[in-house]
Amino acid sequence: MSIYESAVKKPIMTSLCFLAIALFGVFSFSKLPIDLMPDIETNTIMVFTYYNGASAEDIENNVSRPLENTLNSVEHLKHITSNSRENVSVITLEFEFGYDIDDLTNDVRDKLDMVASALPDDANNPIIFKFSTDMIPIMMLSVKAEESQAALYKILDDNVVNPLARIDGVGTVSISGAPEREINVYMDPAKMEAYNIPVESVSAAIGAENRNIPGGTFDIGNNTYALRVEGEFSDPKEMYDIVVGNFNGVNVFLKDVATIHDNVQERAQETYTDGQQGAMIIVQKQSGGNSVAISQAIRDALPELQKRLPSDVKIDIIVDTSENILQTVDTLSGTIMDALVFVVLVVFIFLGRWRATIIIAITIPFSLIASFIYLYATGGSINMISLSCLSIAIGSVVDDAIVVLENVTTHIERGSSPQNAAIHGTNEVGVSVMASTLTMFAVFFPLTMVTGMAGVLFKQLGWMMCIIMLISLVASLTLTPMMCAKMLKLQKKQSKIFLLIYRPIQKVLDAIDNGYAAIINWAVRHRWTVLAGCFGLFAVSLLCAKGIKSEFFPANDSARASAKIELPVGTRIDTSRDIALKLTNIWRERYGKDIKACNFTVGQADENNTFASLSDNGSHIISFNMSFVPSDQRELSIDEICDQMRADVKEFPEIAKSNISTGQGGGMGGQSMATFEIYGYDFKETDRLAKEFANEMKKSDLITQVNISRSDYQPQYRVEFDREKLAMHGLNLSTAATYIRNRYNGALATYYREDGEEYDVKVRYNPEARQSINDIENIKLIGSNGLISLREVGKVVMNDMPPTIERKDRERIVTVDAVMAAGAALSDGVTYGQSIIEQMEIPTGIAIQVAGSYEDQQESNRDLGQLAIIILVLVFIVMASQFESLTYPFILMFSVVFALSGVLLGLFITGSHLNIMSMLGGIMLIGMVVKNGIVLIDYIMLLRERGLGIIAACVGAAKSRLRPVLMTTCTTILGMIPMAVSQGVGAEMWRPLGIAVIGGLTISTIMTMIYVPAMYSIFAANGVKNKRRRIRKQRELNEYWKEHKQEEQLKHKDK
Amino acid sequence: MKSVFITFDISHKEAVIDILTHNNCRGFSFFDHMQGRGSVSGEPHYGTHAWPSMCGSIITVVEDKHVDNILKEIKALDEDSPQLGLRAFVWSIEKSY
Repeated sequence: MSIYESAVKKPIMTSLCFLAIALFGVFSFSKLPIDLMPDIETNTIMVFTYYNGASAEDIENNVSRPLENTLNSVEHLKHITSNSRENVSVITLEFEFGYDIDDLTNDVRDKLDMVASALPDDANNPIIFKFSTDMIPIMMLSVKAEESQAALYKILDDNVVNPLARIDGVGTVSISGAPEREINVYMDPAKMEAYNIPVESVSAAIGAENRNIPGGTFDIGNNTYALRVEGEFSDPKEMYDIVVGNFNGVNVFLKDVATIHDNVQERAQETYTDGQQGAMIIVQKQSGGNSVAISQAIRDALPELQKRLPSDVKIDIIVDTSENILQTVDTLSGTIMDALVFVVLVVFIFLGRWRATIIIAITIPFSLIASFIYLYATGGSINMISLSCLSIAIGSVVDDAIVVLENVTTHIERGSSPQNAAIHGTNEVGVSVMASTLTMFAVFFPLTMVTGMAGVLFKQLGWMMCIIMLISLVASLTLTPMMCAKMLKLQKKQSKIFLLIYRPIQKVLDAIDNGYAAIINWAVRHRWTVLAGCFGLFAVSLLCAKGIKSEFFPANDSARASAKIELPVGTRIDTSRDIALKLTNIWRERYGKDIKACNFTVGQADENNTFASLSDNGSHIISFNMSFVPSDQRELSIDEICDQMRADVKEFPEIAKSNISTGQGGGMGGQSMATFEIYGYDFKETDRLAKEFANEMKKSDLITQVNISRSDYQPQYRVEFDREKLAMHGLNLSTAATYIRNRYNGALATYYREDGEEYDVKVRYNPEARQSINDIENIKLIGSNGLISLREVGKVVMNDMPPTIERKDRERIVTVDAVMAAGAALSDGVTYGQSIIEQMEIPTGIAIQVAGSYEDQQESNRDLGQLAIIILVLVFIVMASQFESLTYPFILMFSVVFALSGVLLGLFITGSHLNIMSMLGGIMLIGMVVKNGIVLIDYIMLLRERGLGIIAACVGAAKSRLRPVLMTTCTTILGMIPMAVSQGVGAEMWRPLGIAVIGGLTISTIMTMIYVPAMYSIFAANGVKNKRRRIRKQRELNEYWKEHKQEEQLKHKDK
Repeated sequence: MKSVFITFDISHKEAVIDILTHNNCRGFSFFDHMQGRGSVSGEPHYGTHAWPSMCGSIITVVEDKHVDNILKEIKALDEDSPQLGLRAFVWSIEKSY
């Protein structure tokens, strides 16, 4: 008993099997996490090597180079870049995608062991660090405060940070912008000198006094008591009475030489939200945590936490990555529902029967739900790719069921009982249904094998489509016939209302059928004209290709922007703050209705703040973080707003550098950036070239911002000691340097404990004594003969600190990033840059090349190109096996050519860019467009076998197959329309895909339906002619043989 | 005793067997997947790409009194769905054991 027969005869088994699949699917769905993108595996390993005291160049030569040379031989390495700056070398190894990062880490570790002996003795052991996307903060909270500002750190630490850190999945929670409490002991240098008491003695004295020491135990009578000395201060003011030294036989107290300030850290970042000072709380997740669930938990917890805070402290959300994810998922779910409605409607219009429509529609949820089981089993998530996949699949999963149902209906109309019709009808089309699913497999299975960045995106899509197609095939061969047997019956009389509604539709469809038959009747009689016309259109569409711009990835409007504004190095925090506040006001005034929160941080980060110290900071650096209302609620796109903000920044001549970027930055989703790499050893030459190039780039309208990676030389003051003089005073350089550090940066004397918290007690010069070079020269050092001034043993000079030395693939490099203006395409920026490079005089030894996302784009284009070829060959193989012919698949392959014209025309008309999403659409088209041709040519062949002539067969097939073709095409196209026109959050990502598929499928279907009969008739006519010629020749030969049989036989004998 | 040879579109199988049962005819031989085509307008049943449907045939031997009724019912079934194809032929049985 065949599978369809048993399915029809065992309806309970069949329906319950599918119910089980659906149950599993729904269960998996409820367990699936939600994310924006599929998990992108890390492919980057960083190696940190500390070598204290070495300059950037020393680090480059002694640490970075030997490490690079050895690490370069690690397998699957794509690029090796290094940053050599004072004290540290950071090497970044970027690997090809798709390899196990743990194996690679082991390889790297082995290589590091090999090279360890070649590193300088004082260099620390290299540290391996795996970078992962988990380190990107998932949430940023802004805190506004007024009178609580001074104690904000402790308030937040106790009431917000600790509760948040306890939430499941939350990794690190850090506070920035709220300075921590610190007990500052400010010393008066003049008094110090007078009493001959240095900072170190004071610091040691405070440390020694602030102690609790157990004194052991002793017995009194029957009891044992503990003995303790408790000297820890209960109030910082107690420190005033510490004896810090002795002068002329009199005790010197701390109050004689210093003042105590119980306040906050001297140098700290300040954070302002919407112009009001406060703090920022940054939440990072644990690796593998589910961002949406964590964000939701945090959101739920916030109102409760807010209640515990003083009334002037207000917490708000500046950045919540889950918001964008959820909105994107919502939009996409909306498009899926729209697609579902469209598809069901199309099926009803074409079939005109409610029961048939239900039978078809029911395969959609079953096939789609099954893919959730795969996602759950492989640890996937509901994300943009998996949801787009569902949206794409809706139109295609009904195809198989439609073919089966159509044939079963024919059988019923011929008089079979529904059950028999279901079995035999399915049996007849089973093979061709499988073949057409195989062509879809031929398209989607290779997608699972793509490597690189594109592979990350396509792997999930490929597997999901394969599974959906498989389930839809099984459903169409079992569930559909079973339901047909149960639900369909010969329709002998239709209700009046139904006829009233459906008769006009019927008339239109009939008219289309007849019109199309007439067109084909003309086309097969004017084959060459039709062919010339088709290829003419193809040529025209190629012209459009010139007008289409390309980019790597569609820009994603994540409703976030960040800006890094740098003032000249050394600008005081007060000046930076003023400028930042002015900018905030300007931006809030100009884009007020779009901005949800505008937050900035300025100043030097505390060493203990993990998040803040990862990014650049300093008193001259302002970092803005802005969040906007969702893209569907504002007129300007995030790119346009950023472009305008860049113009605003230009109005401030005092700003040295600015970098405004959208989204999370990085490869995907942000604004496109054309990256140029300048390789060359000579600092001055490469700097000059980079500046010249950047200036030229800035002149173009296409580019809104140019960043040069190498920073300027930073001015610094340097103390140059005279070693001989130091030695005369019994000092060496490191002792002297420590003295300077203690006086300026402060010596950590002890910790002051209060309520279980520890606060630093720092001893240093008072601020008035730390203001000029003269003050530095007056620093008192402790020589063997008492205090001496720094002036006596050294001098203060000003010079420039060389910037970080960046290297890539073992050569020094400067990168120039040109950010494209809103709407400008990456390809234009690259072309413009290349034209500038051609005009520039580039000295020997220096090379400029294009890199960054353009390189990624080229790479993924190459990958996708290879993929397209593999898919074409596979599809050809499937078709050739089905038809047992090489000619017909060849004819059908031309539909792919027309699909290409369709894609180009679609992109050109809508002004979209060619990017990875539209190319994905193009690749999927290969499978979709040949299906139409298969249906048509299959029926032409059938009619020919039934004995019809070429023209009659073509016209007959065209008339009979138009509806199924139109129906399957319309379901796919209409299924995609919600994707292509959607305006919701995140829609810009998949719009190109929808446009490409709709354009390609429309043009290709129209062309296929006209040119396939024409082309077929050419080949078939040739076949007939050849056959006739062969027969004629055979006949002539036979006649010749009959006449000359004896002569020929004689000739043979002679030989 | 008469032999009735019924040849039909495979979809008719159950209906034909029902008719035989209905007429108290227990024994028959069924030939599955046969090819054939009608003499006048009957569509070919070849099981090929062009003509995918197939025939089945039943040969049965019945008492003379049943023959007319069987033929009547078979004719009615055929007229119900003329496109499928259903014919019955009757001839005499000389001997049997």
